[in-house]
Amino acid sequence: MSIYLKLVKALISTVEPSAQEKKYKKVFYNVMGFIAIFGIMLPMAFFVGVVIYALTSPLVDMGAGQNAVELFLHLISVFSFVFGLNVIFSVFYFSGDIENLLPLPLKSYQIIGSKFTAALISESIMEFIVIIAALAGYILASGRPFYSWLIAVFGMLTLPIVPLIYCAVLCMLVMLITGFIRNKDTVNKMTGFLTLAVVVGIAILISNMGGFDTEHLIEALSDPNNQLVHVMNLIFPQVHFLVSAMVNNTLLNLLYYIAVNGGAIAVFLLIAEAIYFKTAVGMNHVSAKNKSKDKIIASLRQHHPCVTYLKKEFRLLFRTPAYFTNCILINLIWPVFLYIVYLLNGKTNFLDDFVYGIHTGNEETVLLLILGISAVSVLVTAANCIASSALTREGKHFAFVKYIPLSYIAQINVKALVSIIISGLGMVIYVIAAAIYLDLGMKMTVFCCLISLLSVSFVSYFGIFMDSVNPKLIWDDELNALRGNYNVFFNMAVAILLEGVTCAGAYLLFKFTALGSLMIIMMLFIFLLLLNTVSYLLCSFKATENIDRLSV
Amino acid sequence: MIKFENVTKVYNKTIRAVDDISFTVKGGEIVGFIGPNGSGKTTTMKMLTGIIKADVGKITVNGFNVRKEPLKAKESVGYIADSPDMFLRLKGTEFLDLIGDIYRVPTDKRQQRIKEFAERFELSEALSSPIMSYSHGMRQKIMVIAALMHNPPVWILDEPMVGLDPKSAFELKQMMRDHAKAGNAVFFSTHVLEVAEKLCDRVIIIKKGNILYDGTLEKLENTNKNESLEKIFLELTEK
Repeated sequence: MSIYLKLVKALISTVEPSAQEKKYKKVFYNVMGFIAIFGIMLPMAFFVGVVIYALTSPLVDMGAGQNAVELFLHLISVFSFVFGLNVIFSVFYFSGDIENLLPLPLKSYQIIGSKFTAALISESIMEFIVIIAALAGYILASGRPFYSWLIAVFGMLTLPIVPLIYCAVLCMLVMLITGFIRNKDTVNKMTGFLTLAVVVGIAILISNMGGFDTEHLIEALSDPNNQLVHVMNLIFPQVHFLVSAMVNNTLLNLLYYIAVNGGAIAVFLLIAEAIYFKTAVGMNHVSAKNKSKDKIIASLRQHHPCVTYLKKEFRLLFRTPAYFTNCILINLIWPVFLYIVYLLNGKTNFLDDFVYGIHTGNEETVLLLILGISAVSVLVTAANCIASSALTREGKHFAFVKYIPLSYIAQINVKALVSIIISGLGMVIYVIAAAIYLDLGMKMTVFCCLISLLSVSFVSYFGIFMDSVNPKLIWDDELNALRGNYNVFFNMAVAILLEGVTCAGAYLLFKFTALGSLMIIMMLFIFLLLLNTVSYLLCSFKATENIDRLSV
Repeated sequence: MIKFENVTKVYNKTIRAVDDISFTVKGGEIVGFIGPNGSGKTTTMKMLTGIIKADVGKITVNGFNVRKEPLKAKESVGYIADSPDMFLRLKGTEFLDLIGDIYRVPTDKRQQRIKEFAERFELSEALSSPIMSYSHGMRQKIMVIAALMHNPPVWILDEPMVGLDPKSAFELKQMMRDHAKAGNAVFFSTHVLEVAEKLCDRVIIIKKGNILYDGTLEKLENTNKNESLEKIFLELTEK
């Protein structure tokens, strides 16, 4: 047992920051820890407790007191599963320790068990607080006796086991079948997308249950035929047994709960013994892919230099986690967040009035829609900083831009195109979704997309020009290239100011002159074309000159 | 093939990194560029490749003025920078494909050269892995392959032997000899005097932006009889 505990302790240190890091960043860690506990964890736990209390009280009278807490614990289990993937991959596959552990006189279940426990502890500390808060809310609202608290504490410590076992088994199967995940970046991206999908899924579920309207929620939860709860009970049966043990005062439910967890652990150990070591050994070696080297070389084909340069830009943006999170993901998350806000708030009067205005062809509403699309396009393009960090991202190897036989303007055009494609794609998705919802019709949808792309395009070229003035070429890690880069901020400030003046000017023209919305929209279109021309000319003449002038 | 005419580069209006230097490298020659740290070697090479603009003077590569016809001059050059840590998140093949397309290397020649160079440098197995996973020496090798893939008439190599294992260093030296024999120019900087001694037809010794010596090693040794090349170099550069 002591070997197992020592292993757990040692393995946890591979997940947490090293002592050396802690030493150098002691103050930072203390401050962040304080903020995390008192600013986020405790208020969130309190909020969860209050919500469960508020939902449980009326449900108890309807004889469905445990439904709210059960559903919440199911949600926690889902999140535990999603976030657990990252931790499981880290502890089981990317900690680089398996080849050091295997020669030691350890039994395989000791290695697997200690790794799983290390992952469980690392992943679940925050979860423990939320679970106990939810159970406390339930116990207080339903007036459960004292021993319920003991079951709650036991549940707090053991509830994340099953979701994490699902994670571990899934990770091992994925590694066994595909073997394609060779680095942590891929896992981060996968879990990022999965988190997004889960958040949207939960938002849709809550929306279907009546949004945050308490009456609708209570009505849905009190329904004995609630399909969602039934399905979740099949996936995470331990939740139902734990809550039932607290409700029905029976030891049998507690035994069921222990049996489910014990059975899951036994199955996990059996599967892990059969799969884990096969998939983990050799993870840290650089190896040639199955494809033979001749086939790899034979697959190389000549393309236009700009096409390959474009591919290079995309590969670096997508493969570098800091760029992926800050430059790419923001474009995908942006419409999703809008959708979540819409789902959770339900239809507001403003939105109803807006939709009504569009359907009745109200000139002011149509103008506001077009101005809004342009403004959001400018904001998103400036915020993702793909263009305004395009030269900065070259970093210490900016010389590459200068010594290759590809003109500066060709390179600028490719970099601008990357920004236009990525920002534009996010915006077009958003515009089309809005157009479908507002029933805009094909012509208007295409025009809205055009306005959006023109706005994206001018900010892209302008961003590259801004970055060319003084690119920050010395940075230690990629995140510094974005966060410590004033060009990103300046570009955003100038773009917002320019767009703000344009939108305000257009709206004032509509309000205080006899010009109709159609005329003003056409003026906006022409003005955006003009801005595109100016920003392109700035890049053609000034940015190329700036690049040429730079000594690197 | 390479012609420097009264070239000067001043940093921050005060530091004369390169001070009115002139030299030529003809086709068929291997010329070593030797000097202590901060002597102006890298600045000279960067001006030659178009990375830095000369303040005064004219630089010609393969008959093309670096300022007036930069793209043609760049197409004529194969350049190995002093640091190989570039595009680490690309795979070896992706990086070579990028360079192949930028220098417009036809498909058949690209495949043939990558295969040949990768085998000579024993890098074939690693080509499908990200450059990030390479050792320093492997990164240097892939930079060498990338620089030489388009078979440029002028090779400009900034410390090309750094990080290479003995076999790869031998291969590169052999390639430099073969390239010069075919009538091309090879201009490289080095700190290793033995390399210069065995490889170069001529050496240019630079210190504080001024050329101290431009000629054959034989001539240099003849004028300083009974002294090793190392001692001659130290006497020249420590004056």
